[in-house]
Amino acid sequence: MKADGSFPLLLPAIAIYLGLFFLPLTWLLLESFRLYTPGGIGAAAGAPLTLANYAELLTPAFARFFLETMQISLLASLTGVLLAFPLAYWITRKLSARWRAIAVGFFVTLMFLSVLVRTYALELTFGAAGPLRPFLLALGISPNSRDYIAILVGAGLLHYIVPMATLTLLGTIQNVDPRLVDAAEALGAPAWKAHLTITLPLSMRGVLAAFLFAFTFSISAFIIPMILGKGRVLFISNLIYNRFSEIADYPSGAAISIVLFAVALAIVYAMSRFVAKQWTP
Amino acid sequence: MEQLTRRQALATAGAAVLGGTLGSIRPARAATEITAVEWGGDVVNAMKQIEAKQDKVKVNWVLHQGGSGAILPKIKASWPRAEYDYVAGWEGSFNGMVKEDWLVPVTVETVPNLADIPQKIIVKNAKGEWVAIPRAVGGIYVAYRKDICPVEVKSLDDLFDPRLKGKICWPGPTQAMMLPLVALSLHAGGNEHNMDPGFALMKKLAQSGNIGRVGVTDTDFSTSLTSGETAAGFYSEPQLTMVAKSFPVARLTKQAGVPTFLYQSGFAVFKNRPNLQATLEFANFCISPEMSTLYGEVAGEAPLNVKAKTPDSLKHLAFTPEEMDKYVYVPDFKEVLAQQDAWSKRWENEIAPLL
Repeated sequence: MKADGSFPLLLPAIAIYLGLFFLPLTWLLLESFRLYTPGGIGAAAGAPLTLANYAELLTPAFARFFLETMQISLLASLTGVLLAFPLAYWITRKLSARWRAIAVGFFVTLMFLSVLVRTYALELTFGAAGPLRPFLLALGISPNSRDYIAILVGAGLLHYIVPMATLTLLGTIQNVDPRLVDAAEALGAPAWKAHLTITLPLSMRGVLAAFLFAFTFSISAFIIPMILGKGRVLFISNLIYNRFSEIADYPSGAAISIVLFAVALAIVYAMSRFVAKQWTP
Repeated sequence: MEQLTRRQALATAGAAVLGGTLGSIRPARAATEITAVEWGGDVVNAMKQIEAKQDKVKVNWVLHQGGSGAILPKIKASWPRAEYDYVAGWEGSFNGMVKEDWLVPVTVETVPNLADIPQKIIVKNAKGEWVAIPRAVGGIYVAYRKDICPVEVKSLDDLFDPRLKGKICWPGPTQAMMLPLVALSLHAGGNEHNMDPGFALMKKLAQSGNIGRVGVTDTDFSTSLTSGETAAGFYSEPQLTMVAKSFPVARLTKQAGVPTFLYQSGFAVFKNRPNLQATLEFANFCISPEMSTLYGEVAGEAPLNVKAKTPDSLKHLAFTPEEMDKYVYVPDFKEVLAQQDAWSKRWENEIAPLL
């Protein structure tokens, strides 16, 4: 590393990360190995170390919670990015500067709208007592079925993912030189092929970033599955909340948090490696 | 611009001085400010009305977020610096606070109106000292909306009726100390010490598809019942108070074979706070006969003060000794509280996948 005197400028950020990220995370890790005595609030001071909090996660039921969280998050993130890409392309390439500003403003406004408000709006409209209930029943869809609830949770996630991914992709698509597509088309490539072979590969790192933002947001979502999941579709974050806030079993909550953190890190790493290998210019 | 005359300037200055002097005059004794954690809805409304009936204490109200146990981690994180003068709770949350030794022991000397509260119900610590101030009693029982429920529920077996598909709101594993599951266990021949029959019956209920919502907050229950999303279930009293004002609700508190559970709500007063005396005085005022009556009318919980009047709307929670023996089940709360962690995990493993 070249010593250019800029290091002191990093110190505040490093201090904040050490104090607010690594320190609590270390505490969480230690707590996850503490023995919990039922009835207490967290582990008692000096509680012995144990692997029991991790061992109790090795059950089919916990794996099912985990898979359900991953499945809904993955599907919502993929769908969100798929919807966001053409939107971002349209805003970047097709709109005038004035309308582009309006469109960007619209998506930024959507980001500011409270997750709670959006979630309750979905619940009121598409929930079991919403105005669309007769329509859903006519289509043979039971608003109380587990699959429908899972889709509703996914829709709740999409509400946030689409504007976030669209805004993330704007810069990416802006940076793809449009003359490359023009050149491909001038040489006889159909538009769809030109986009698939030029725009998409050149945007892949941005697409990955948008996907990872969406995915990390989704797997850690708490309010959306709590309200739309009706206590039947639960995300890992809901289990963590129950452990910490309702039954005060901090060690178990900490163990689930650490596992979720490790899995999320592994997925991010694997995805990044995959994209880097496949689409390195 | 208009010029200010000397006479006007003197009049203005005089008025300012007079205003300043009058403004600085305060009542002989300023109200002591305390911070209290209460449940929202009718409970905090009742407490605000009680607060308005006195002037010694001004309360900074903080509301429980989720169950009353949710605040415990926050208190633990800042202990021994207590941020709240009192926290409203019930047996479940009191137990955790007692174990952590956070609460101030109370006596008839420090809270004189405790003399009118049945002593049997007062929570004690390991030394046998009273450590919480009970104010009212609520119930956890089966109820249904008569206008929309397709079944007239008369026993727990009726909850399995196929006509109730998706129509039951059942408390989640962090609600009501899982007493509804104890009710199922009792129904199937077990009890809180032997929950296998209860879990077996719960699995059957989950598999039946009759559970449309698993309630995890008080609002879940009342909103679900009000909107007609669900029509029956196990509820605790405040969840039904508002609903019953607008819809016909059948409460099965005195139905043979359907156990009713009673719980107390009250004040947990914290150590390490500067305004302890004022907090105890306020709690004492709250459990006086008049304020207990007011609390019962507004909050929908039956007052515990024997000199208070139980409102007609809460007659379903007034039991004669015979009725108490027949309909009310008093579980071994020590066992119930000790098993919360294990039962919650068992719910996640065995029940949640079936919902």
